Amino acid sequence: MGEINRMSAKILVFSTEKISDPAIDMAGLMKLHYPPTVYTISIPCSSGIKPSWILHAFEKGFDGVFIAADGSDCVYGETCTEKTGALVGKTHELMKSNNIDPARLRMAAICSVCSEPFVKQIRSFNEYLLKTLHA
Amino acid sequence: MKDSLKSSSYDALVIGAGIAGGEAALNLANTGYKVLLVDKELSVGGKMIMLSKVFPTLDCAACITTPKVSEISRHPNITIFTGSEVSNIRKISDNEFVAKVTRKPRYVHVEDCTACQLCEKACPTSVRDQYQFGLIGRKAAFIPFSICSPKAAAIDIDNCTLCGACERVCPTHCIDFTMETETNELHVKTIVVATGFNLFDPNNIPRYGYGKYKNVITAMQMEREIAPTRPFHTILRPGDGKVPDKIAYVLCVGSRDATVGNPICSQICCMYSIKQAQLLMGALPMADVTIYYINIRSFGKGFEEFYQQAKGMGVNFVKGKIGRISEKENGNLILRYEDINKGKLQEAEHDMVILSTGVLPTKGIDGLFENETLTLDQFSFVGQSDMLASPAKTSIGGVFVAGAATGPMDIPDSILSAGAASSEAISYIIQHA
Amino acid sequence: MKKKKIGVYICHCGGNISDYVDVEKVRQAVEGEDIVFLAKTTMFACSDANQREMVNDIEANGLTSVVVASCSPKLHLLTFRNVTQRANLNKYTYVHANIREQASWAHSDNKIGATEKAIHLVKAAIAKANYAEALETNKVKALKSVAVIGAGVAGMKAAISLSNKECEVVLIEKEPFVGGRVSQWDSLSTTTETGKEIVNRLYNDLITRENITICTNSEVISNKGSVGNFTLKIKKTPRYISTSFHPEDLKKAIEVCPVEVPDEFNFRLTPRKAIYKNYPGEYPQTPVIDLKNCTRCGACEKVCPAVNFSEEEDIIEISVGSVLMATGFDPYTPAYGEFGYATSENVITLPQFKRLIDEQSDTLVYKGKAIQNIAYIYCVGSRQAKGDNTYCSRNCCTSTIHAALTAKNKFPDINNFHFNRGLRTYGKQEILYADSLRSGDIYLQSYEDGLPTVTIEGKKTIVKINDILTNGKEIEVEADLVVLVTGMVPRADNKVGTLFKLPKGRDKFYNEIHMKLRPVETVIDGVTIAGACQGPKNIAESVNSALSAATKSYSIISKGELESEPLVATIDPDRCTWCGACEAACPFDAIMKSEKEGKIIAAINNAVCKGCGMCAPVCEPDAINVTACSSTEIMSMIDALV
Ligand SMILES: Cc1cc2nc3c(=O)[nH]c(=O)nc-3n(C[C@H](O)[C@H](O)[C@H](O)COP(=O)(O)OP(=O)(O)OC[C@H]3O[C@@H](n4cnc5c(N)ncnc54)[C@H](O)[C@@H]3O)c2cc1C
Ligand SMILES: Cc1cc2nc3c(=O)[nH]c(=O)nc-3n(C[C@H](O)[C@H](O)[C@H](O)COP(=O)(O)OP(=O)(O)OC[C@H]3O[C@@H](n4cnc5c(N)ncnc54)[C@H](O)[C@@H]3O)c2cc1C
Ligand code: SF4
Ligand code: SF4
Ligand code: SF4
Ligand code: SF4
Repeated sequence: MGEINRMSAKILVFSTEKISDPAIDMAGLMKLHYPPTVYTISIPCSSGIKPSWILHAFEKGFDGVFIAADGSDCVYGETCTEKTGALVGKTHELMKSNNIDPARLRMAAICSVCSEPFVKQIRSFNEYLLKTLHA
Repeated sequence: MKDSLKSSSYDALVIGAGIAGGEAALNLANTGYKVLLVDKELSVGGKMIMLSKVFPTLDCAACITTPKVSEISRHPNITIFTGSEVSNIRKISDNEFVAKVTRKPRYVHVEDCTACQLCEKACPTSVRDQYQFGLIGRKAAFIPFSICSPKAAAIDIDNCTLCGACERVCPTHCIDFTMETETNELHVKTIVVATGFNLFDPNNIPRYGYGKYKNVITAMQMEREIAPTRPFHTILRPGDGKVPDKIAYVLCVGSRDATVGNPICSQICCMYSIKQAQLLMGALPMADVTIYYINIRSFGKGFEEFYQQAKGMGVNFVKGKIGRISEKENGNLILRYEDINKGKLQEAEHDMVILSTGVLPTKGIDGLFENETLTLDQFSFVGQSDMLASPAKTSIGGVFVAGAATGPMDIPDSILSAGAASSEAISYIIQHA
Repeated sequence: MKKKKIGVYICHCGGNISDYVDVEKVRQAVEGEDIVFLAKTTMFACSDANQREMVNDIEANGLTSVVVASCSPKLHLLTFRNVTQRANLNKYTYVHANIREQASWAHSDNKIGATEKAIHLVKAAIAKANYAEALETNKVKALKSVAVIGAGVAGMKAAISLSNKECEVVLIEKEPFVGGRVSQWDSLSTTTETGKEIVNRLYNDLITRENITICTNSEVISNKGSVGNFTLKIKKTPRYISTSFHPEDLKKAIEVCPVEVPDEFNFRLTPRKAIYKNYPGEYPQTPVIDLKNCTRCGACEKVCPAVNFSEEEDIIEISVGSVLMATGFDPYTPAYGEFGYATSENVITLPQFKRLIDEQSDTLVYKGKAIQNIAYIYCVGSRQAKGDNTYCSRNCCTSTIHAALTAKNKFPDINNFHFNRGLRTYGKQEILYADSLRSGDIYLQSYEDGLPTVTIEGKKTIVKINDILTNGKEIEVEADLVVLVTGMVPRADNKVGTLFKLPKGRDKFYNEIHMKLRPVETVIDGVTIAGACQGPKNIAESVNSALSAATKSYSIISKGELESEPLVATIDPDRCTWCGACEAACPFDAIMKSEKEGKIIAAINNAVCKGCGMCAPVCEPDAINVTACSSTEIMSMIDALV
């Protein structure tokens, strides 16, 4: 079993309380397995993530950061998508200037029933990270 | 024993503390009304608190009921009488009913009991445990079940030999054999009847061998076997304690069957059987589970998907009517059935059979009303006087009905029906102030 | 900062967690932490006994913060916040860790991994608890009024129930007339009352009530504010007919109108005029002119003085404390050619069939042809093995059997053939099925992989099936009429759902928070859902949910005051340079320029701020943090998770 753990990348997920948390919870309920080194921090809205948090996660040793964004379902308004996009863009710039592969930050809109898409996204992200970082 | 009479008043009386009664009581209490919640059992929670996980979301029944139960038992506006029955109700005026409620003695002072179980250990008398549906035994001094509320011991006086062993070991001296039946006279403005349902007794269909063949059990017994608070640590067949690996479900036992006097469909048994099949597949990955059905009634939100999920997991569904069940020497069972797809009689061997018994009305509630008539429907469920436009109304103004007391109903429907009954009760109190 | 004393409780969840996560190992891993005063495991953290124990622990040891590691916070965050409150600890010092949905269940294939993840999650929660502060909730005024959207049975019953509870109600109906789908049905199962009679009974009750305002031909076009105080703009389209009309004149006006369009009320079976009323007793009683189709020829105006084209569209604004959504469903529209729909003229849908049998007497005639053999094809648009609608529409089996029986009673010559996929006449409705069998109706069944087919041979329409009830024999029926038993789908027009941002479930109907714990609430605070907009329901089920939603909406606002979460943005005045970026980012206009000790800085209006945090990342000098989600907290959680 220890073998399995070394087979998975450390991923920090920022997920939102009302929209993507339910999807991630439901993934558990449906026993759709994903690597156990994927950790979720819940926040109210994906457009409230500070780039400094993401950089901190890389600095401390996370292989990847995944933003489970509200997308158009955001309860705080439709500007969420654009604002989350902007902060991801800004973070990508900062990552480049710190010599971090920008592809180690991913974002996808995960709505409240997107359990399967969430797990698919995470699995493919995990594969990418393993290939590029731990090959 | 002498009766003592106590008188008090509340805004609402809720009879039956299952999920429906509990929900109705909470709605009333949260709106600011004083509620008396009465249940004949030693714990609140009704059938639901005994269940394993619940369809279609598969959340654990205990996880949903226990917090509700604890909210109910803590609510400043709710008073609970367990082990109590309403014996008589009189309507005095549009905003006053007088109800007599008899509290049977528990012989334990609930406030002082710490549920330490010493009395259980000390008690020498063993009887069948009704809360585990007879799967195991219990003592005459006993705590009803692990998540019961109030969580306190009770003395089953009918089986107690009055040896006094429990009294001697009880560290808080809360066992008290001098407790007496208490009759309360209550003045209330409105009443919610939430007395739930009874389960069909499969002894009435001798050809299925329930009671005779040990490995034929009811679905309620299986609920207990797979519940987190289960009596055994695994799933086993009662005959010899073997872990079963070829399990059969027989649906519509005592439902859709005019020969046993119950022509209607119980509307929950298809789904609870599919649920149990899924849980069994999870717990015993090597086991074979077959469901013998007439029609699968997965009609509610998320139900059809739940049924398809079970098929995907490998549960076998056989459209067939079970003629009779017979037992082999090794305790296995032979099911004779008409396979409808193949159009012929077949036999199959299983090592455990679960009877998915149907829903019957609870009896006697109409007899409580002294000067008014509570009309029942043709199946003896509480009648709905305006079934479509006001499903919670009964033939008596101010008396409302919730949950499975009106007919077979699953938990989500029971909760909505309780919402309707409490809504009507609140309106009634306001309109008749 | 005073040193914290944290109590940690790790739940077995009766095996749901402990079967995969070694809870004792988790306990041991955290018990040694400096700020952890005690760490325990428990069979059911949410049980009464454990809640009591927590209260005792907090009081006896003066704990400053509590962490429970159990199921999803969706289920029990509130439960445990209340526990801390009962122990006189501020509820915001409570922190939750989800080790069931996100550890034991998600990783049930990997016990070691699940346990390690649980340890990290609990450590992160402890790290967060280290910074958790006591907060006071904001009090918000709640208006004692509710907007009910949709005047079908669900909306009408909800309005009556709220009115009984002395609440102000605005009932908003998009159509010119009330009643929704039920007004389209005459005979109903389980009652002798017709659908129209039920609607009329409810309407007559509604109009006697002073605290209900009914707006027909009206739509909500904007929504501002939040629970306690929503401001809605309603667009009222005029009827172009004054209420003081002369019935005879109006009858003439309808006669002379030259425009004919398909009548949606009759599911397009018949045409109607541009000036119309759906049926004689319909409410409100004033007919309406459908301006979209009206050619303004003026014919009606000439014969009826009540016609008034100068009436103007009106936009009104209302403020309410809660919104109850009851917008109902649409019948499924089959695809072109699906079981011969639109390609054979003998194929209609169940709603059309119901209208047809209600309108006719003596003999059943469709398109000029007398009907004898009727084939009903069940589950059209529901239980799709290939399409999107995987769900069962719940009512159509019963509605079909009932319609078939009604037709047979009215037109004794017909023969009914039911091509079904397993009948779902649940509960007492089973009696209807038994009646139907007794009356000689024929039932033929298939599974999803052997659906019946409809073929057109010249003027004949043939329905074929491999009937599983007769050993898979191929049976064919030459049908004079094929009735497609179309199920329920969400309303095609979902503008209002988008406006309120209501989430939808797998079946695309509006979704409740939790089917058993909070079945009529949505994730949008203050917005409840009722009736068939939440999922297929019959009338009694719609009414039950409507009354439940009414009670919920009422209990939210009945106290006149609401507590709102104190989780808001805060500005660090030392860092803020007032660039205005946050003001521009805030979607709620919660940020203003202000002056503090001579310095121009941003200020947050706590009553308006929702704590979304959109302002925080845009702040260049990093002067903004949201309570309970500050950089310090998040970074300390990240440290614990690595
Ligand atoms: C084996 C089985 C599995 C099930 N699984 C599921 C499932 O997975 N999902 C689901 O949704 N549903 C399930 N159900 C259905 C569920 O149990 C019912 O929907 C629910 O219990 C109905 O609640 P109720 O409160 O109306 O009735 P009950 O639970 O029957 O409660 C009625 C209460 O009233 C009390 N009472 C009765 N008469 C009196 C009286 N005269 N005086 C005082 N008190 C009285 C009783 O003691 C009881 O506590 C299952 C049922 C069974 C049998
Ligand atoms: C063929 C058929 C037969 C049936 N037969 C029976 C039967 O015999 N017995 C039975 O119990 N049930 C029957 N039903 C079910 C019954 O029709 C539903 O239970 C009932 O209509 C649900 O009521 P509702 O108020 O939730 O929705 P609806 O009846 O759909 O009403 C919703 C209302 O909201 C309005 N609305 C929608 N969007 C907006 C908006 N944006 N703004 C304002 N208003 C809006 C609509 O115009 C409508 O008036 C049948 C259903 C079908 C399809
Ligand atoms: S009655 Fe006494 S001995 Fe029995 S559980 Fe209660 S406290 Fe313990
Ligand atoms: S729900 Fe299923 S098992 Fe129960 S009576 Fe109805 S058809 Fe039979
Ligand atoms: S109610 Fe009957 S016809 Fe409707 S979808 Fe379900 S099974 Fe099919
Ligand atoms: S947290 Fe959201 S609502 Fe509050 S001020 Fe910032 S942007 Fe506005």
